[in-house]
Amino acid sequence: MFSVTKIIAVTGKGGTGKTVTTSLLIRHLTKTDNLVLAVDADPDTNLPETLGCNSSRTIGDIKEYMHEERDNLPPDINKESILESKIYEILEEMPGYDLIVMGRPEGSGCYCYVNNLLRGIMNKLVSNYDVLIIDTEAGLEHFSRKIFKDVDELIVVTDGSRRGLRTAERIRELVGELETEVSNIYVIANKVTDTNREIITSTAKELDLELIGMIPVDEMIVERDMAGKPLFDLPDDSTAVQEIERIAQKLGL
Amino acid sequence: MADEFPFEISPMFEGERIRKDGMYVELAGPKSKGFELVRAADINDIEDDKFTLIGPDLSDMEEGSRHPIAMIYKIAGELVETDLESIVERRNHEFQNYIQGLMHLNQRDDVWLRLGTDAVNKGLTSFEYIAKAIMMLFKNELPFIEKVEAIYITDIQEVEKELDSAKEVYKARDERTRNLHDEDVDTFYGCTLCASFAPTNVCVVTPDRISLCGAINWFDGRAAAKVDPEGPQFAIPKGELIDSESGEYSGVNEAAKRLSSGEYDRIKLHSFFEYPHTSCGCFEVVGFYIPEVDGIGWIDRDFAGTAPNGLQFSTMAGQTGGGKQVAGFLGVGINYFRSPKFIQSDGGWNRVVWMPKILKEKILNDIPEDIRDKIATEEETSDIESLKNFLSEKEHPIVVRWNEEEEENDVQETPSPQQQGYEAPQMMQMPSNFMPSIPMGSSGGSAGMKIILKNAKVSIEKIIIKKDE
Repeated sequence: MFSVTKIIAVTGKGGTGKTVTTSLLIRHLTKTDNLVLAVDADPDTNLPETLGCNSSRTIGDIKEYMHEERDNLPPDINKESILESKIYEILEEMPGYDLIVMGRPEGSGCYCYVNNLLRGIMNKLVSNYDVLIIDTEAGLEHFSRKIFKDVDELIVVTDGSRRGLRTAERIRELVGELETEVSNIYVIANKVTDTNREIITSTAKELDLELIGMIPVDEMIVERDMAGKPLFDLPDDSTAVQEIERIAQKLGL
Repeated sequence: MADEFPFEISPMFEGERIRKDGMYVELAGPKSKGFELVRAADINDIEDDKFTLIGPDLSDMEEGSRHPIAMIYKIAGELVETDLESIVERRNHEFQNYIQGLMHLNQRDDVWLRLGTDAVNKGLTSFEYIAKAIMMLFKNELPFIEKVEAIYITDIQEVEKELDSAKEVYKARDERTRNLHDEDVDTFYGCTLCASFAPTNVCVVTPDRISLCGAINWFDGRAAAKVDPEGPQFAIPKGELIDSESGEYSGVNEAAKRLSSGEYDRIKLHSFFEYPHTSCGCFEVVGFYIPEVDGIGWIDRDFAGTAPNGLQFSTMAGQTGGGKQVAGFLGVGINYFRSPKFIQSDGGWNRVVWMPKILKEKILNDIPEDIRDKIATEEETSDIESLKNFLSEKEHPIVVRWNEEEEENDVQETPSPQQQGYEAPQMMQMPSNFMPSIPMGSSGGSAGMKIILKNAKVSIEKIIIKKDE
């Protein structure tokens, strides 16, 4: 039952396509029989929609509930087990993966205690899965709060712009300041065209970033994005899907 | 069935999640009903190890279905008493999670169970196995239980019928726990979650004093310390009672010394002025002394306006926080207002003169009735003058103190004993009329002040010492 869980975090500047990348990685992982826990840790919650999964309540809502209700709960009730049960309630159970949405940021009170409980519960929960994959904003807030422990692969998704690659550089610096252990940092370039391919490669080299994949502009994704359709069921012959397969191989997934 | 179980029993299965895909049945939970209940019973009324099932068994349940469940255990033994019921009941959660393939979440009438298909395929086809395993664990792990009997109910009508009486038991239990006080226990709990930004903070959680952040009560401290005694919440043996009125204990003083790295060596749990509890920064409410009326006002985090002293929460919080004992200020959790020992060494509620309206409404029923209308809010008062008038008009008990003080006005004040690291508020940020005076403790001894400089870089170009002319 419990196994060593591989932990992947996908981050990047807004709009670069980290949620698309996360969804396609989850698609690959579930096809190869890995049990996945997917976490949307971006306050601008897009992952459920991209996966085609309805999710209504978030960890943020539960934290708020615990905060509001704490004086009304029976004094000797075990708050950790209430919190655990509430998390299990919002866990969306999909074929091959479960999804948790972190949701809204904290209110003005002190959340030290509830975060401390959350760390313990998440740690236990994560050990039930083969892979934990976290779609996270570039500020890595949930990592600074140590809700997730060590990260095996941190993937920074960038578009073709120099700014996107600069963000990757800044994230690398930020990681150095966190207490979270990060084993590897990789860069995936997204929306790659024949015109920007070379410049991305050379900029990555210049900034000493390890570029492990270049996802081309995929018309199927563009169409689905426009229509607000999920990407999870993209056909195998999608160019983006094929590139993700190659990336996954390099990551040993 | 002897002690042969078709499953493994081990603490290593705790935290095992049964997903919908691998689930045989779901029992109780958010989409159904159920509860768990432990009752102390007379030893002669119990048939040890007996299991009764009311309703369908696992073998009668369809794969993937959902059913209600009630789990009632009757326990008996010479040492078994009603007070132990909740402690034993809590262990049902732990022990059921020891069973491979069984997931147990939450407690009381919020329980939620899932049984894995793998477990059923390995032979777990009757609730009897589960009940027998739990009864065995109860007796092995809790030796004061001499006899135990289990009744499981899966029939919805029967569950609903029993649920009402279970709720009555929970309610009675809660009333008992609300009546637990500092003098009833021999252990308090400390918390160091704030230690990273308030390194000298000494958070002491007692039955009559919730943590400053309002999140941790004595039971939470006890539960956490039991699971991980080295974790952020840990036991503080109460030690000797030094003073019951102010809530001073030798064990707390020792912990204060240790946790503050020697900054503080005395903490009085229910005192506002003398050796008060340290204030971390997470506190929900800050109390502030208003010298002009010799009373105490309270302002909470959510109130954006200004207190009668012209200050906002953020300003006062800034002065109070950081894990210090600060004269004239005290951070507390909202639930501390509900404590019967609420700043009792400094007059309790009779000393309270002001609080924001929303905060007052939140705790209105916990304010003693005779003072409820005499505490001003931002609606009645905007400054010290209007506060004074309000208090006189309402005949607030503090007014009696004013008259007494006038009579004693000529008496020379002596400096109060202060311990190392004791901080005075930063006057520069105060309005000029704000000058907290600290009421004199009867403990006497004008030992003066000891100043310790830590990591200080002092550079003095010239010192001129002159005789005073």
